[in-house]
Amino acid sequence: MIQLPAHQYGLIFRLVEEQDAEFILSLRTDPRLAKHVSPVSNELEAQQAWIRKYKEREARGLEYYFLYTDEQNEPLGVFRLYNIEHNTVTSGSWLAKSGQDELNSIRADLFLTTAIFEEFKFDRCVIDVRKDNKKLLRYHKMFFTVTSEDDLNVYMYMNAADYQRKKEFLTSIIQPSI
Amino acid sequence: MNIETFVQEFAEQFDEIPADQFAADTLFKENDEWSSMTALSVIAMVDQNYSVRLTGDDVRKSSTIEDIYNIVASKQNA
Repeated sequence: MIQLPAHQYGLIFRLVEEQDAEFILSLRTDPRLAKHVSPVSNELEAQQAWIRKYKEREARGLEYYFLYTDEQNEPLGVFRLYNIEHNTVTSGSWLAKSGQDELNSIRADLFLTTAIFEEFKFDRCVIDVRKDNKKLLRYHKMFFTVTSEDDLNVYMYMNAADYQRKKEFLTSIIQPSI
Repeated sequence: MNIETFVQEFAEQFDEIPADQFAADTLFKENDEWSSMTALSVIAMVDQNYSVRLTGDDVRKSSTIEDIYNIVASKQNA
């Protein structure tokens, strides 16, 4: 099982706590960031209540909501693992603060993908990507296989062999030494 | 490999900015659409079209499209 907090690639990865509600809400209500995610209530209390419920699911091993910060503990972004069934997991709910080092999301994606296949030891990761999120779609199509689509989303999966290709690609970009 | 084609291919990685707004001397990090995802799109395009792997440092030290073009050209000739 993964050891958290994890210090990797100059970032710190940990699980979301109730006190992170304000940061998460600031991301989810940012019009530029939120155009590809489901709308949420802009009330802090509702976000805190959602995290309390999430922590119950986390304790039962049903879901993991990660937050990553810089080395000064400044929060930078979030992502989530959910719909855990047998050896398959869904990853999503990606949001990252604007204006940060453009490599941080790549570092975070490398951490997440490695965690899925090497720490949690899932065999398959599935995602759904909004069709209007063209860049994200192009990126994921490099490593994921499309299974289906509807009016809103494209549905894809990645297996262990795809993961190895993605890991090699991302590692060569960020050249992790930390 | 020529700079005009490269600028066009680079511009295609941006979804919200018309391609005719890009030139070799465009400071590509100064527009609102630049993000880690755009950086990945550019890196993937260079990988697929030129068989050259750009690193994060290559992107970080570049300001203009021509800077990226010159790095790709030098890696192709290495």
